[in-house]
Amino acid sequence: MLLGLGKILIFPGFLFLTVYAFLFEYLDRKVYARLQNRMGPPWYQPLADFLKLVGKEVIIPAGANKTMFNALPVVSLAAVAAAFIYVPVLGKEAVYSFPGDLIVVLYFLTIPTMCLFLAGWYSRGVYATVGSVRTLTQMFAYEVPLFMALLAPALIAKTWSITEMTAFFAEHPLYILINIPALFVALVAAQGKLERVPFDTPEAETEIVAGPLVEYSGRLLAIFRVTVDCELVLIASLVSAIFLPFMTGNPGWDFILYLVKTVAVLLFLALLRSVMARLRIEQMVSFCWRYLTPIAILQIVVNLLVRGGLGL
Amino acid sequence: MSNEEAIIQRLVEKFDILKDRLHFQRSKRIFSDFLTREEFETVLPYVRDEMGFNRASHVVGTDEGEDLGFIYLLTNDDGVILALKEKAPKSNPKIKALTGDYPSLEFHERELVGLFGAEVEGLPAGPPYPLPDGWPEGNYPLRKEWNPEYFDNRTMSYNPPVEAEEKEAEQSE
Amino acid sequence: MSELNRVVIPIGPQHPSLKEPGCFTVTLEGEKIVDAVVGIGYNHRGIEKACESRNYTQVVYLLERICGICSHTHTTAFCQGVEELAGVEIPKRAAYIRVLVAEIERLHSHLLWLGVAAHEIGFDTMFMYTWRDREAVLDILAEIGGNRVNYAINTIGGVRRDIDDSLKQDILKMTDALEEQVKYYRELALTETTLAARLAGIGKLSREDALKYGAVGPVIRASGVDFDIRTVDPYAVYGEIPFKVITDTHADIFGRTVVRVLELLESIEIVRFCIKNMPDGDIVAKVPRRIPAGEVISRTEAPRGEDIHYIRSNGTEIPDRVRVRAPSEANWHAMRHMLLGQYLADVPITIAAIDPCFSCTDRAVIVKSGRETEFMDWAQLRQYSIEWYKKKGIDVTSIKMPERRRYF
Repeated sequence: MLLGLGKILIFPGFLFLTVYAFLFEYLDRKVYARLQNRMGPPWYQPLADFLKLVGKEVIIPAGANKTMFNALPVVSLAAVAAAFIYVPVLGKEAVYSFPGDLIVVLYFLTIPTMCLFLAGWYSRGVYATVGSVRTLTQMFAYEVPLFMALLAPALIAKTWSITEMTAFFAEHPLYILINIPALFVALVAAQGKLERVPFDTPEAETEIVAGPLVEYSGRLLAIFRVTVDCELVLIASLVSAIFLPFMTGNPGWDFILYLVKTVAVLLFLALLRSVMARLRIEQMVSFCWRYLTPIAILQIVVNLLVRGGLGL
Repeated sequence: MSNEEAIIQRLVEKFDILKDRLHFQRSKRIFSDFLTREEFETVLPYVRDEMGFNRASHVVGTDEGEDLGFIYLLTNDDGVILALKEKAPKSNPKIKALTGDYPSLEFHERELVGLFGAEVEGLPAGPPYPLPDGWPEGNYPLRKEWNPEYFDNRTMSYNPPVEAEEKEAEQSE
Repeated sequence: MSELNRVVIPIGPQHPSLKEPGCFTVTLEGEKIVDAVVGIGYNHRGIEKACESRNYTQVVYLLERICGICSHTHTTAFCQGVEELAGVEIPKRAAYIRVLVAEIERLHSHLLWLGVAAHEIGFDTMFMYTWRDREAVLDILAEIGGNRVNYAINTIGGVRRDIDDSLKQDILKMTDALEEQVKYYRELALTETTLAARLAGIGKLSREDALKYGAVGPVIRASGVDFDIRTVDPYAVYGEIPFKVITDTHADIFGRTVVRVLELLESIEIVRFCIKNMPDGDIVAKVPRRIPAGEVISRTEAPRGEDIHYIRSNGTEIPDRVRVRAPSEANWHAMRHMLLGQYLADVPITIAAIDPCFSCTDRAVIVKSGRETEFMDWAQLRQYSIEWYKKKGIDVTSIKMPERRRYF
């Protein structure tokens, strides 16, 4: 019981998640900067930003709902931390797993987006409202291809549990190649989930200042930012668990492999961020529905055929 | 004869009031003397419709002592600037807005209202330009008699010294 | 029913997308703009009134500071006008140097615009690249004039500083390196899909509307009208220099981007021509202190468009009336027309696409510390800053210019 609690809170649970999230943010910003011919921040910058924000005053607008204002960041961080428990970090072992935990993780992933929407809505400011509406609109665009892309491999593995999927693909590595279109769709849709360029209209700095989080300050903003970083780790881990399940069986080496895989995913996302401009909301929606969703549907059809054809 | 001289000749032939009041200074520039409001409004439609001066770059407001002057810079397709001038007395500085025909004059005519105190009739509604909110009424900075040294920008008030106090200050120096 | 969905959003006076204050109150229905009110005038500093109490040389210094990026054009226009009033012709070499600096200023301004526009649409990588190249141009300007902006080259009667051979070589090296980069930006502007997706079809201003609203500069040239004061009303030595006027028929922001990038290449050619063909001679002619009475209208082609100066003198040392119509003032009138029917997301780039220079078109400074509000005017602010530096042990008179860093 104590061991379980330790695993949830420390490793590979909450503490590991936040430390790794800070590291991810540093890597992301450094790669982004170097691609732009700049220096970039030092390794302790995300931690410094967090500490600075925590020390600042929290100002809540007069018309805003105090309880919601204070609760939303915590709820979204809790959802991301809870989802992380089910993703395998050490090889094919997640802290907890049960059949269907893939679906649960995907649902947990929608909670931060809803919290962001509610945060903007309850802030009662013009920019926040526009930003929160855009968050929801964006969700309608990327959610379908993201879910389909992440669920397509499950059709071949015949299980809804992430750990079992990873185990299945580790034993039959050739099936990984079939899922490559889904990998591509998942990565691009993830960029929309994480609200990064080219899909960062909800937080468009030059248009609506900071979008839904415009009225947030102090430790509440710090928690939201940690949530975003943890989401990045979670998505990277999920993608590498489902699509890149290479492992050696030895937990130590598997952990190193895990680090390598997640960093590779991060580098790809950072590259996407550097080379594109920001799309308008209707361009983003039309892109997701016209290109990403058909590819995801195609992947599902292919996977079903493979499963039927091979009589799995 | 150059293009500009041809323009002047044509205008003088059409309008008697413009005789000797148009000057050809250098290529692409024609200056007029100050016309009254009636004279200006008589000449303008012809200049705009028949002579091809259908674009306006600018209107310059000036302070001519007793009158306020308005110099309209009209251009045609060859790039010739016709500086058509209008004046109105300071006691009754009413002129007609040309923004309807030349939409490019809107902000400049607003400026005449704010900085010179002209009353431009027919100007579309809009925020005053360019003076800040809370600017005291009746203060027209670009008129020559308005002295910036007497303006206190903390209280936003214009306080010219009264004659007697000035003399006292001089004597005590 | 649609009335209930309308939201009024103020963009400004303080907003991350605006580099200078201006208030654009847009009324939105969903994401589309149904009404817009353009409110400018926040940077009004009373410069024209100040001109009426200073002599002509002092006015040159004042006009330089109307705007940091158009400073050379404003002084060129003013000095040209005064020289015309005085009936003085400046030496050929001085005219060549004026054109040289004006074109380098155009390079600076267009590179800055490319970066700002990229930032407005969220394309920070291009922002960083173009501003890195802009640094090379600023270094050259600092070598020519002593300052990165407000380089104080012009004076009434000619220019103040000469250009020697080693400086000419530096300028040529800079143009060679810059040309490669600009060709890369041209490829980028024409082929990068997200860029085209964001810039195409917005900020539309047809040819008729552009003429009606009196747009100038790259805005009107992108709508197919070849209106460039350097060919319409040539000044300095532009009559002798062969160059192309760039026009484009897209009539939207994409067109303006293309026009500015191609104008960069043209400016590089003009700079090279000037350096090769600069005649020897004096750089300044003598102009009397009292300018004969008269009036003059002087026009130049600033990077942003047509700049008109109206100068009237009454025979004394002090001008009677100086009126500056900066190019950005002309482009504002089309702004409301361009904003209607667009998406909110396109407002920052639409505003940025006319390359507005709000300063080109004064209030007291309010300092709030804690609960107290204190008013400081410019004299007190200056004194405050001098004392603040003294407390740190910094004496302003002993500051040296840093070593010039090379970017190529």
